[in-house]
Amino acid sequence: MRIEIKRYGNVLSSRPAGREAALAMKAYQRPKPGEKIELDFSGVLSVGPSWLDEVLSALRAEYGTKRVVCLPTRNPSVIESLKAIDS
Amino acid sequence: MKTNTRSEIVAFVRSAGGLRPIELAGKLGITPQALHRHLKALVASGDLEACGRGPKTRYVIAGEPALEAPRRWHAARGAPAESPASFVCETRDVFSARLGRLASLSKEGLGGAELSLLISAVGEIGNNCFDHNLGHWRNIPGCWFEAQSTGKRLWVLVADRGQGVFQSLSRALPEIPDERAALLTAFEKRVSGRAPENRGNGLKFVRKIVEGSPARGLACRSGAGLVDYGALGPDCRGHLTDFSSKASGTVTLLAWRLS
Repeated sequence: MRIEIKRYGNVLSSRPAGREAALAMKAYQRPKPGEKIELDFSGVLSVGPSWLDEVLSALRAEYGTKRVVCLPTRNPSVIESLKAIDS
Repeated sequence: MKTNTRSEIVAFVRSAGGLRPIELAGKLGITPQALHRHLKALVASGDLEACGRGPKTRYVIAGEPALEAPRRWHAARGAPAESPASFVCETRDVFSARLGRLASLSKEGLGGAELSLLISAVGEIGNNCFDHNLGHWRNIPGCWFEAQSTGKRLWVLVADRGQGVFQSLSRALPEIPDERAALLTAFEKRVSGRAPENRGNGLKFVRKIVEGSPARGLACRSGAGLVDYGALGPDCRGHLTDFSSKASGTVTLLAWRLS
């Protein structure tokens, strides 16, 4: 199952906004058992580590770390945010 | 050599942090035509720079951000006399909406990758104002958020009248000795004033971004503490030395070189 992150905004920055986005993802996206949840960042201008940390923490807690995958992107804010979160 | 009138113009502009021609004419008591000649000469000599267009054109000191208004706002002991709604974001929603407007800086020569990182870094700093000061504002809530481009650089200022980094971090780390040590900890160690919540990587992220290119830098003041990072950090630091070391709260100035 693929989640288009751009549906949640073009500039994604704060923890409260990340928490809201994660709640909405969990409420409206229903992956099949064992299916991977792919986060697609294409079309997003900027993501901050606070927003992304809230989203990834919530999704990983719900579906397990291995099932939540960030699709490859050239967006440097996503790349650097992921490094900051997973360091 | 500048004439007396031109020296006066530069002094007025420096003191005010930027003035419109109509404001300058009122102070100097000279005709608009004479003022226009002086301004044209001062721009040609590299002393002043015009920002904006038409009747909203303001003249500022070339290459330097105009920070007098936020400096006064931050330093005021009571509620600030002036708290312009165009710069002060009283809620996180207002800050978030204005953060998105930085996207228009692509017109100023900031490429997509640089813009993405700048917005991300500014977002972390601005959101910190709200994350760490809810219920602890000195009097008015929110942050002063302003972006200016001058001297081929983009300057972004985020200031708040909250409790400051030392006060915030001391809850989690009572052994922190002073305001400078608190700032260094905030930017260099993974710790948060909101412990035991698992957070505290935002400012480390910001530091890494500004240190990732010689075209970036920042300085941050919180009380008597003042730190800078990145190649343009010392320039930012120079502009924050005039900000009050007695006022609580935090001021961060970022600089990004424009192509």
